[in-house]
Amino acid sequence: MKNPDAIVIGAGVVGACSALALTNAGLKVLVIDRGPVASGTTGAGEGNILVSDKEPGAELTLAMRSRDAWFELDTDIGGGFELEAKGGIVVSRSEKGISNLKRLATLQKSSGVETIELDRNGLQKIEPYLSADVEYGVLYPKDAQCQPMLAAAQIMRAVKKRGGVFVQGENVIKVNSNHNSVTGISTDKNSYISPIVINATGTWAGEIAKMANSYLPIMPRRGFILVTSPAPKLIHHKVYDADYVANVASGQADLQSSAVVEGTASGTILIGASRERVGFNGELDVAILRQLARQAISLFPILSNVQLLRAYRGFRPYAPDHLPVIGEDALISGLWHAAGHEGAGIGLAPATGELITSQITGQSPFMDPSPFSPKRFQGSEYVAV
Amino acid sequence: MHNVVIVGAGPAGLSAAIAAAAAGAPVLLIDSNPRMGGQYWRMAADSLENQIDQHYDLETGLLLINAVKARKEIEVWSNAQIWSATHKDGVNTLRIIHQDNEKIVNTKNLIICTGAYDRTLPFPGWDTPGVMTPGAVQSLLKGHAVLAGKRIVVAGSGPFLLPVATGVLKAGGEIVELIEANKPIRWLKSFAAMLENLHKINEGYYYLKTISTGKVRPRFGYAVVRAYKADNDELDSVDIAKIDRNFNIRKIKNIKCDVAAIGWGFTADTSLAGSLGCKQIVAEDDGVVIWADDKQQTSVTGIFVAGEITGIGGSELSMAEGVIAGISAAKFVGCKVEIKKAHIKRRAKKQRFATALIRAYPIKSGWKSWLTGESIICRCEEVDLNDLKHAITELGATDSRTAKLFTRCGMGLCQGRICGRSVVDLVADNLEISPTDIDRIAAVNRPIITPIPLGVLAAGE
Ligand SMILES: Cc1cc2nc3c(=O)[nH]c(=O)nc-3n(C[C@H](O)[C@H](O)[C@H](O)COP(=O)(O)OP(=O)(O)OC[C@H]3O[C@@H](n4cnc5c(N)ncnc54)[C@H](O)[C@@H]3O)c2cc1C
Ligand SMILES: Cc1cc2nc3c(=O)[nH]c(=O)nc-3n(C[C@H](O)[C@H](O)[C@H](O)COP(=O)(O)OP(=O)(O)OC[C@H]3O[C@@H](n4cnc5c(N)ncnc54)[C@H](O)[C@@H]3O)c2cc1C
Repeated sequence: MKNPDAIVIGAGVVGACSALALTNAGLKVLVIDRGPVASGTTGAGEGNILVSDKEPGAELTLAMRSRDAWFELDTDIGGGFELEAKGGIVVSRSEKGISNLKRLATLQKSSGVETIELDRNGLQKIEPYLSADVEYGVLYPKDAQCQPMLAAAQIMRAVKKRGGVFVQGENVIKVNSNHNSVTGISTDKNSYISPIVINATGTWAGEIAKMANSYLPIMPRRGFILVTSPAPKLIHHKVYDADYVANVASGQADLQSSAVVEGTASGTILIGASRERVGFNGELDVAILRQLARQAISLFPILSNVQLLRAYRGFRPYAPDHLPVIGEDALISGLWHAAGHEGAGIGLAPATGELITSQITGQSPFMDPSPFSPKRFQGSEYVAV
Repeated sequence: MHNVVIVGAGPAGLSAAIAAAAAGAPVLLIDSNPRMGGQYWRMAADSLENQIDQHYDLETGLLLINAVKARKEIEVWSNAQIWSATHKDGVNTLRIIHQDNEKIVNTKNLIICTGAYDRTLPFPGWDTPGVMTPGAVQSLLKGHAVLAGKRIVVAGSGPFLLPVATGVLKAGGEIVELIEANKPIRWLKSFAAMLENLHKINEGYYYLKTISTGKVRPRFGYAVVRAYKADNDELDSVDIAKIDRNFNIRKIKNIKCDVAAIGWGFTADTSLAGSLGCKQIVAEDDGVVIWADDKQQTSVTGIFVAGEITGIGGSELSMAEGVIAGISAAKFVGCKVEIKKAHIKRRAKKQRFATALIRAYPIKSGWKSWLTGESIICRCEEVDLNDLKHAITELGATDSRTAKLFTRCGMGLCQGRICGRSVVDLVADNLEISPTDIDRIAAVNRPIITPIPLGVLAAGE
């Protein structure tokens, strides 16, 4: 493609959604990835599209729009990525946990999230294998899921059908600029010219920012997921302990986990995921697998006899304040970031694409994008480091 | 002195255990089967008298097994399956399921002799009940004295088809067809290796003689290329094709049978050694094996390997390597012992024969032309060739890992042990490229070596 209107670096779910939104807005888009589609964190995550785990605020607004955008996108491109409005159930067993969960659900409800409170009977009716000692839970009917690798691939397929170009197998090594304005990029094989470059490289977004002489503090947060052998349908929703919400929001470096348990279409059960900061260390850590197994069994004792078939891990891209970075670079104009979605990048991807596109094309965005602006990390106190 | 820890009690592991113990090292021998002997000397009972006549050289096997039992410095854990292993700071941690509980062994030295399993190729109808591997037919016979069916077709390629057919006949089964895809003329290229291993030719002759007392006459240059289901969903018949040198179909005829035992040689079981970080390489037959130096040491100091895991070569090469690995590991833990010239010479001789074997029974790319779009490739997840092609042409997969993520090919119960190798070939074929070593090695990477109940996992520390 000669002279694309915009270049998207990264063909994970965020890059794919950004490319589609830009293409739909009429731009000629070139997507570049060093690997095939979904070869980064998108190929190593779960497909939860959650509104239940977010406190009211900018991220919840983004998540609520994104959840609906997934279903619109499904219709728009013709599906093929196993999108399902499965519903999530958050439970708690401690007195403190229950009161926190009640408080959170009330706040979420006033922000427009659909919530249904359940007692033990209500829970047993919709999740018969849930441990009988669980007496309180909240059902979030809007929580959904998809198969993230297929989603990214189907979206990239639509981008190509609509005139976009996908170049894979080229590693971006430089973001070119002139007087602090982007002019294009160079890969290990070619150079491409464009006034707009979108950095959708997830966990590696900091490296791209550096190549442009800017700065973005995106770091890896490791997670393991357990996959069981196929079993008859035992679990009908995504079920997790309220501790999970606390973990998601936590800034601690050491291991945290709170099992999110769910059955999939293929009969396997997914148990995820741990959160810890150990850089890009990919070694199998059996202690984490054991902890996830214990937590899953404590929610669903029947899982004790189900076999662990495999385990995999990935590295979530996170920013220090645990909010995604969506917006134009404060130092280099024409460089846009769509990265740092941590453990919610699948859920948040379509709305991220919309938000970045409306900013680039000058349309009015569906929400105030300023909480996600990279500017928050690009003041003098950061850049000096 | 530290224990020498050995995994696998087949020809390689037994030989290693005896050699290490003879050098003065205490040994812990871990094996997942109920009885020692591995694949070659799999037995249904403990003593020779109670054996059904299914083995060619059980004498050697019993000699080794009894020697292991007689040595009190060798401790044996049978029914002990390693489900996961990791290597950190020079220490290998083995996590073992033993009698429904988990045991942990930490060791700085290790000999891995985990052997191999049957290699299969997909073809239309291969997911029909009654289509099985020769290894499975033989395991039923050797391990349980059970005949898989009445009218049996044995097919594929490799010398292993002969003992399987012989075993079926001896157990009173009928061999309807015994067919080998390659022509015996290929052996002439390796005349020297044959001459120095004449007793192996003798073994082959013994099988053929037994087989010829049945009515069956082996065919060369043929293959089973399709299987048909009867109304009851069981196997009804198979298409047998005359094939050319590249395995393309020439002429087809249909044969009724209730079992088709089809195997294409073996694939080394590298999952344990791979988990510990031992370097894996792609062998001449495109299979992934563990690299070892002349002392049988892997790329990880203190970890040794022997047997099929270093390359498919048969029980004698396995034993020759096992002895050297046993001596090397004993030396590693401080025993005063050296590898002898005779050991090296024996291994080299067996290795020449193994190489000749691999060359005599190549698997040619024409097998892919037997498939139709609807042919199942991954039996566990029921993925067919059209699904795989869709992942490539429509979804943009450019390697087998991505194709696997898109289709779930190889993500089922067997974790790609059955289809993984073929998927790598098929994906590359559809992209019109050759598979890379990275693709092949990624396809055998299995950090969870065998499934483990979540309850057992949760109970461990
Ligand atoms: C265990 C685990 C479970 C998770 N579960 C969920 C979940 O249930 N729900 C949810 O919403 N999120 C989940 N996540 C998070 C989610 O997977 C990520 O937030 C999301 O995939 C990020 O997508 P991305 O497109 O930003 O990044 P990626 O998918 O990593 O894409 C970035 C792309 O950029 C490419 N790239 C990088 N550098 C370069 C370069 N220099 N040149 C060219 N290309 C380059 C990479 O090859 C890669 O393809 C989970 C994550 C983990 C690890
Ligand atoms: C089904 C089958 C039948 C065969 N029959 C013949 C035959 O009749 N004649 C012939 O010449 N060759 C036969 N072979 C070839 C045979 O593999 C070799 O000749 C020989 O047995 C190889 O010896 P080995 O010691 O390398 O491995 P093996 O004999 O395969 O022994 C490996 C041992 O390791 C154990 N093991 C593997 N992984 C683990 C783990 N994670 N934890 C614990 N234990 C583990 C296995 O249970 C097994 O006992 C057969 C191969 C197979 C697969």
